[in-house]
Amino acid sequence: MLLSNLEIVPGRKIAKHLGLVQGSTVRSKHIGRDIMAGFKNVFGGELKGYTELLQESREEAVVRMTAQAEAIGANAVLNVRFSTSSISQGAAELFAYGTAVVLE
Amino acid sequence: MRYENPKVPEGINVTSEHPLKEFSQLLLGVVAVTVIIVVMLTLLAERIAQHIPFQMEVEIAGQYRGKLPVRTAVTDYLQGLADRLAVSQDLPADMRITVHYVDDATVNAFATLGGNIVFFRGLLEKMPDENALAMVMAHEIAHVRHRHPVMSLGRGVVIGLALAAVANFSGNDLAGRVLGEAGLLTVLGFTRQQEEEADQTALATLARQYGHVSGADTFFMLAKTLPHAGIKEKIPSFLSTHPATENRIEKLRRLAQQNGWAMNQPTRPLPESIQVQIKHRSDHESGNVSTHFLPR
Amino acid sequence: MFDLIVLGTLLTFGYVFGQIAEKRHYRSILRREQQLRQLLLVPSRFPPMYVHPPQTFLVSGSVVISVDFFKVFVAGLRQLIGGRMRSYESLIDRARREAVLRMKDEARKHGASMIFNVKFEAVPLYKGQRNSVQSVEALAYGTAIIPARRPGT
Repeated sequence: MLLSNLEIVPGRKIAKHLGLVQGSTVRSKHIGRDIMAGFKNVFGGELKGYTELLQESREEAVVRMTAQAEAIGANAVLNVRFSTSSISQGAAELFAYGTAVVLE
Repeated sequence: MRYENPKVPEGINVTSEHPLKEFSQLLLGVVAVTVIIVVMLTLLAERIAQHIPFQMEVEIAGQYRGKLPVRTAVTDYLQGLADRLAVSQDLPADMRITVHYVDDATVNAFATLGGNIVFFRGLLEKMPDENALAMVMAHEIAHVRHRHPVMSLGRGVVIGLALAAVANFSGNDLAGRVLGEAGLLTVLGFTRQQEEEADQTALATLARQYGHVSGADTFFMLAKTLPHAGIKEKIPSFLSTHPATENRIEKLRRLAQQNGWAMNQPTRPLPESIQVQIKHRSDHESGNVSTHFLPR
Repeated sequence: MFDLIVLGTLLTFGYVFGQIAEKRHYRSILRREQQLRQLLLVPSRFPPMYVHPPQTFLVSGSVVISVDFFKVFVAGLRQLIGGRMRSYESLIDRARREAVLRMKDEARKHGASMIFNVKFEAVPLYKGQRNSVQSVEALAYGTAIIPARRPGT
């Protein structure tokens, strides 16, 4: 499944637009990471736990978007966009959406 | 370029799993982990607390001293009884018991840090003889001997800190409350164990002091007749700091039987002067004293 | 003891009424999605070239959906352990789909046939400073295309 941020795929023609597909997920880390993050707020530095959290969420959202695209018969998703929002301390919601297309 | 809009299947972004299943899994998981952690922390805290020297306990208790109750003849009598029982219990020489007598109608007695034991007049009034009083006294001395007050302090501090940390860091105060309840119920199990331990040591002390254990269950039988006893018996024992009264009586009788301690020997009455003092005060409070005995 | 009973009661209410509301909402969403399937949504930015330029204008749809006590409680427990918060996922999904349907309604009222450059915003609204979500607001917006009437028809 081709994923792209562009409107078009250079060198290929779009046969059909199949509309909007979206993937979203809400995840949180366990309390241990929250407590460590609380300490890090005093000392500074990268919050590795939360970086992991957001990366996992992004991957899962993309996987779900791809699953929707496959289910309706697309072979590429173009114009992919992300949106993040935080649901309380330590939990993040990630949303990925794009246009499912059938490339020739 | 054609545009279509096929139907996207459900179940990709939203799970079709029943929410109650997730709820029960989470709840069980959280409660189980809380209980395990609280048990481990409590054992650790109690183990460490026992290393706090008794002298330090006395100092800590000294700092919290408010207005001390006035020493009377009753206080001296109780202190004498405590000292004799301390010898029978093989209390270490550096652990001194200090008895405080409070002239109040509360029916209670407790032991706190530094070997300080407090008795209330209300309890003394209910004691028919010295043996019953000695049992209560020996029970409180046993708490001191086994370092229960300082263990309770250590446990309270550690568990309180842990629960506060979790409740603070979780984004939701409800979850913190669930943890608090689970932790509290676990800790109550430990306090019940301490009460049983004190009961057993007190019974042995009584046997050594008097040669028999008559009067050991007097206090518990009385406890059943107190006004709020009915309500207390209805609270399930896992929610209570003390074991159920029936259980305590039964355990004491069984222990006496196992060790061959007699429970039907005559008991020693309270000294006359003490009886008069206690009755005089309680009559004053309930207004039974006729006016022509008051000094003009 | 008493507050455990209160908690249990609130949980039961939250679960029962929340589930009823959610199931009813999903049924309505599925029905309206079927009706509005003809109106196309395309996140791409470049609409096709028309011989006669079409009318374009901005359409949007938004909705605020509240959490129920059961969801909040389960989310709180989940935050201790980590993992997917299934209770909030359904909430946000509902909110977005409802926002899209309202956007389509607005476009349909003006006679549009397609909506281009669809974008989303989703904002959780918090209760006080306790960091617990009170409701979720979802916004969907895009440019609706009304094809020009061919002259002579």
